[in-house]
Amino acid sequence: MSTDHKPVLKSDGDTAPVPVDDAELVEESGSVDRLAMLELDNVSLSYHSGRKSFDHGTHHVLNEVSLQLYEGETLGIIGRNGVGKTTLLRLMAGILGPTHGKVRIHPGKSASLLTLGLGFKPDLSGRDNALLAAMLQGSTRKQAKSFLSNIQEFSELGDSFNEPVKDYSSGMRARLAFTTALMTHVDILLIDEILSVGDAHFREKAETAMKSRITGGQTVVFVSHMAEQVKKLCDRVVWLEHGKVVAMGPAVEVVDAYVKSVRDARIAAREKQVVASN
Amino acid sequence: MPFLQYLRLADTMARMALRADASRYFLGYIWWVLEPFLWVGVFYLVFVVLLGSREPNFLMFLATGKLAFVWFSKTLSQASNSIVSGKGLVGKISVPMSLFPMAVVQEGLYRQAAVFVMLAALVVGDGYAITATWWYLAPLLLVYYILILACSFLGACLVCIARDFAQLISLGVMFLLFMSGIFWDVRTLGDPHKTELVMNLNPLAFILDAFRQIMMYNTPPDMVHLAAIGAGFGAMLLVMVMIMRGGSQYLALKALTA
Repeated sequence: MSTDHKPVLKSDGDTAPVPVDDAELVEESGSVDRLAMLELDNVSLSYHSGRKSFDHGTHHVLNEVSLQLYEGETLGIIGRNGVGKTTLLRLMAGILGPTHGKVRIHPGKSASLLTLGLGFKPDLSGRDNALLAAMLQGSTRKQAKSFLSNIQEFSELGDSFNEPVKDYSSGMRARLAFTTALMTHVDILLIDEILSVGDAHFREKAETAMKSRITGGQTVVFVSHMAEQVKKLCDRVVWLEHGKVVAMGPAVEVVDAYVKSVRDARIAAREKQVVASN
Repeated sequence: MPFLQYLRLADTMARMALRADASRYFLGYIWWVLEPFLWVGVFYLVFVVLLGSREPNFLMFLATGKLAFVWFSKTLSQASNSIVSGKGLVGKISVPMSLFPMAVVQEGLYRQAAVFVMLAALVVGDGYAITATWWYLAPLLLVYYILILACSFLGACLVCIARDFAQLISLGVMFLLFMSGIFWDVRTLGDPHKTELVMNLNPLAFILDAFRQIMMYNTPPDMVHLAAIGAGFGAMLLVMVMIMRGGSQYLALKALTA
């Protein structure tokens, strides 16, 4: 993978993860001394699958990834399927630990992964599921209960909110899931591909809600392979390929470079196919 | 996560699981008591009717032992798989790993409460009296709960590390079913040394016998022995909590990737 797109910044080892273009970013946000909320320092993650598939059963998911997340920014992570985007979020949320390197979170700050459908139990009502999901995301029972009427309203489920989730359409499920997830209150919000939910009307509503949170000073890490959405929502973007950071920089430029590389790869593959069939 | 919130969450998860479970069946919550009593019914058919046991109160003997054992066996089997089957959640939220077996243990506790009430009714209905000795059930139940909790935490960790342990655990539970004096009386082994040996080596045999001693024979259990079991499994529980706290990211990786 080429690393020479501009303003491509390959993170190189354990020193400064975001070198040159940092100044530009700080200027953009209008504040000079931003607080690093979360820092990944040369982080690698690999595991043994037990089954001897390749490299003696060792899977390398992330390879020497370094990056910093600043207070109030929205950092996008893009890359193809299976390059380690979700794993990166899991490391940030503290669910997984790195095999090498360090994940540092600013003392007293919490990071939480915002994902859809926290183990929905189909036999339970939307209300019960929402209560449980809110508690699993760290709310007390009292807080969780106080969210319920908001969840019912935003998700537009009406009386179906009290019906078992197994009777929901997939759109209704998505609405419930997104709305429940939206109720999380944390310092760093880690979002994994969730804005592609429901019908067009709800998707727009979800995006607006997300945007208002982002502009409201929330620190966000946002994973998606929808390039336009990433451009629209993020300040800065990290491009991952095979567990490594290929590029990091202003959203528009990194996303454009990524889109171009995907397109080039597709054209190359097609040409190869044509050559092979001839 | 503060301890109280942890307990609240485990309790809510347990109740939700029970509610979901009950809503799936026409008979709903009735199954909680129906199932264990069907077991006793089968044992009665086999041991009393077919094999013709000579002991006069054999059915009560069997019911007490079996229904008390069910708490351990059901909870352990389910809790052992709890982290692995909670994989969907494990990858999404950062909660203590012990929450998964804890929720299962609470679920088992609520279920078992109904079973114990039915058992007490059965015992009283059969002509036994509730006496002051029954107060000894309180420490006995507490120690039994600690034992179940400690074993459940251990089981959940082991199965998370290697799925093979699930096989061993279900074999072990079956082994204990025959080794803990459910169908036979530890006190009538003939040789008092043998009785002592079984009771000392197998805490379950002691606990099940204690239930019978209290509910059927109006005799308090050996409190020193009971305290020793409580202390031993209490220590094991503490160690397990520490292991699960320190190794939560390792367990999460194991649950997600195996």
